Amino acid sequence: MQIIIHTTSYVPIYEQIVDQIKAGIREGSFQENEHLPSVRSLAKELKISALTVKKAYDALEEEGLIQTVHGKGSYIKQFNKALLLEEQQKEIEQDLEKLLLKAKQYHLERKQVVNMFDLMLEEIYDSED
Amino acid sequence: MILKINNAKKRYPAFELDCSMEVHPGEIVGLIGKNGAGKSTTFSLTLGLDRLDGGEIELFGKPIQELDDQIKQKLGVVLSDSTFNGNLTIQSIQNILKAMYTKFQPRFFEEKVKAFELPRKQAIRTFSTGMKAKLNILIALSHQAEFLILDEPTSGLDAIAREEILDMLRSYMEEDPDRSILISSHISSDLETLCDQVFLIDQGKMIFHSDMDTILSKYGILKVSPSQFETMDKSYLVKVKDETFGKVCLVNEKQYYLENEPELVVENANLDTLFTMYVQGESK
Repeated sequence: MQIIIHTTSYVPIYEQIVDQIKAGIREGSFQENEHLPSVRSLAKELKISALTVKKAYDALEEEGLIQTVHGKGSYIKQFNKALLLEEQQKEIEQDLEKLLLKAKQYHLERKQVVNMFDLMLEEIYDSED
Repeated sequence: MILKINNAKKRYPAFELDCSMEVHPGEIVGLIGKNGAGKSTTFSLTLGLDRLDGGEIELFGKPIQELDDQIKQKLGVVLSDSTFNGNLTIQSIQNILKAMYTKFQPRFFEEKVKAFELPRKQAIRTFSTGMKAKLNILIALSHQAEFLILDEPTSGLDAIAREEILDMLRSYMEEDPDRSILISSHISSDLETLCDQVFLIDQGKMIFHSDMDTILSKYGILKVSPSQFETMDKSYLVKVKDETFGKVCLVNEKQYYLENEPELVVENANLDTLFTMYVQGESK
């Protein structure tokens, strides 16, 4: 499984696993109903405690993204595409909020912010590579 | 429960051991402590090699005094002194193991002997430290043991050899989710990549116990100046130690300081720093 752990990050390892599996689901690198490695297998692969893997799997199950069947392991649940899109939108909204709060903190004028935004939009959305 | 140690007591002239710990099926439990702190004594008592002065120990639900062959078959053991006579060869040891263990796996044993490039017909007293260590682990892993009891199995090995052994242990656990390991080591980085639970023993007493995930994700080390120490929030402070620059603090919620006191130097904690702070630090 393509998960890379940053061992000296301040971000807890189980959170890194959750984030990467979520990202994988969003990007389509996981199939629906795909079996995830067993807790011990992933712990072996990533060289971490099995409890950490279990914590990640529990968190993903709570968010409704995977299902664990006792004795059979865990697998990716059928995607709710609308839910995923909603999540992605929420992420962008949160980043936007952070951005605008910072701009306000630095006393940027509304007009300045709109200008910056328009320039960026042009650069990223409108230009063809 | 695989192993239950309940206030096990053993009296020595220098100190008294009085400790409790548990190992559940599917768990890898690490034991750390200074030399002479009681690690090896705990192992001896657990294996019935030494007699308890008080308290109880239960292995697979049976009191240690009733340790029988049936339970011993389920154990894979590595102790600090080599277990076989130095004049024996791997060839003879294989025959002995076959006779001793009903579930001995000759093919697995032979495959690993070859993989580790261990000579079959040479007396084991001629083996290097690394070769002896690999053989000892191999012996413990070759009979489908349910519970591995390993006292410093990677001592004296280089990083590559250690990783080979740790990987064998991980594969071993992967094969059967009900297997368990109790392992002691001075090499904290080994334990950090392996263990689920950690116990810290000092002067015969268990002074700390936590799961590895909490240690790595929640605990932190703060390095602060004397004035910073005065004003900092001490709610999550567990241990403090004086340093030339001020103080080193062990906290159990580093996220709080990362968010609320960003000017303080915050580092991830690890088993070495945790161990040092608990043994040499003062409580707040």
